[in-house]
Amino acid sequence: MHGRARAGIVATAGIGLRFPHHRIVREERPAVGWLEVHPENYMGGGKPLEHLDAIRRDYPLSLHGVGLSLGSADGVDERHLARLERLIERVEPGLVSEHLSWSAVGDKHFADLLPLPLTEEALAAVCRNIDLTQERLKRRMLIENPSTYLRYRHSTVPEWEFMAAVAARTGCGILCDVNNVFVSACNHGFDADRYLRALPRQSIGEIHLAGHTLRKFDDGRSIRIDDHGSCVCPEVWALYADAVALFGRVATLIEWDTDVPPLAVLLEEAAHAEAILNAESADAGVA
Amino acid sequence: MPALHELQQAFAASMLLEQGSVICNHIIEDGFSAAERLRIYRNTFHATLTAALRMTYPAVDRLVGRDFFDAAAEQFIHANPPSSGYLNEYGGGFGDFLAAFEPARTLPYLSDVARFEWALSFAANAPDLPALQANALTAVDPEYHARLRFEPHPSLRLLGLDYPADEIADAVMSGDDAALAELDASSGPVRLVVHRGPDGIESQRLEPAAFAFISRLCAGEPLERLLESAPAQAPALIAEQLTKGRLEAFRIEKGDS
Repeated sequence: MHGRARAGIVATAGIGLRFPHHRIVREERPAVGWLEVHPENYMGGGKPLEHLDAIRRDYPLSLHGVGLSLGSADGVDERHLARLERLIERVEPGLVSEHLSWSAVGDKHFADLLPLPLTEEALAAVCRNIDLTQERLKRRMLIENPSTYLRYRHSTVPEWEFMAAVAARTGCGILCDVNNVFVSACNHGFDADRYLRALPRQSIGEIHLAGHTLRKFDDGRSIRIDDHGSCVCPEVWALYADAVALFGRVATLIEWDTDVPPLAVLLEEAAHAEAILNAESADAGVA
Repeated sequence: MPALHELQQAFAASMLLEQGSVICNHIIEDGFSAAERLRIYRNTFHATLTAALRMTYPAVDRLVGRDFFDAAAEQFIHANPPSSGYLNEYGGGFGDFLAAFEPARTLPYLSDVARFEWALSFAANAPDLPALQANALTAVDPEYHARLRFEPHPSLRLLGLDYPADEIADAVMSGDDAALAELDASSGPVRLVVHRGPDGIESQRLEPAAFAFISRLCAGEPLERLLESAPAQAPALIAEQLTKGRLEAFRIEKGDS
């Protein structure tokens, strides 16, 4: 396509682009490696798509879906897939990703990333839906590990094994959300480092970083909520450094969805991630 | 052990607070009860959709205030969960819901304001399809002119409302308290055509005759009948719709005569 930035996303830090920053990104073209958006925000026409077309001329783009419901026993929604396919044809993204979760059953959609039971049946359903999606989109996609607030009694597979099995069976890549690993590890009492070490290194195609909230109750109990509404916390930065040491340089995204701050805040977070990536590259060079 | 489909149905029933959901039996309760864990997901579901409705219905939100809007949205979401993962198409029934919403009875124009805002949102999100250009018609053999049928641009909505919802929404959104105070909500019905054209989203008030004509035009009545219905106004009205980008295509049906 004429006058368009390269499609490929290299292993640098990017930021999630949200509506409040459309204009400033178009006008100021901040120095950031790449941008990621939710395709669901651009499935119609008009202004949003006009902004995205313009921004795509200057930046590689990643589409990070939230509405496909790859974990639905009913299968994926053909209308949603068709809309996603049209947008992919239009903006030629470097990466396309979705979540290990479900959102819809029957004709009802819950607009949230709901937790799957980690069973052989669910694994088969997820893989069937990913196979169909990858075939339809004619491309490999990345699947992100979720933040969860509950576990099912009948789950039999640890989440890290489930993620690895999905990648092995479907050939999809893994979007390792380090914040989600941390949030779920705290909420369910597993070892975050063990989770990272269990993921197949060669499948990691992207890393996500975001802020979360520690919700404390009067009786001393607490739970971590993945609300993407603050800076990445120190524990997650530390876990990210571990992840980069394990996986090597991987394209890394700063996500912020609630109370979106000025663009400069996102760029500072991205610069922090970039510094950790660079430190790892330097170490690897010395070794 | 529940099958995945069964489990997802039970989860859905709990999200919609339906009685008899068995989902709790399947959830591990270490530290937090199943109900507490489910509430986190239900809260996100409500917060996301309430925010989506507030974005689509900003004038309704300002007219009734945050708490009232949240309460109305909660009931609406329960009764009408989304049917797809494309949230821009969510919430089209909010106007009809508000018309029957008991606490809104003292604001009889509220549902019309919502219907108007839905038309604006619908126009904003409609697909980018080029409008029909008048010169495309010059290629049509005059023999077929009588059988020409037009199709409206996908952004177009025709609204027949009991209250001047366009004026109310404009006054509310511009924060013009003086205009709002002077506004006569009972000034009678308005007929509107809302669409997204070359100049952006546009809402125009129509006289009853023009509204009836454009309704027939957009419903795909053949040109011959359109001309018969309004011989004097039809050419100018059709030309105006073309200029404004309100038509998307034409077709000629062979069986027509």
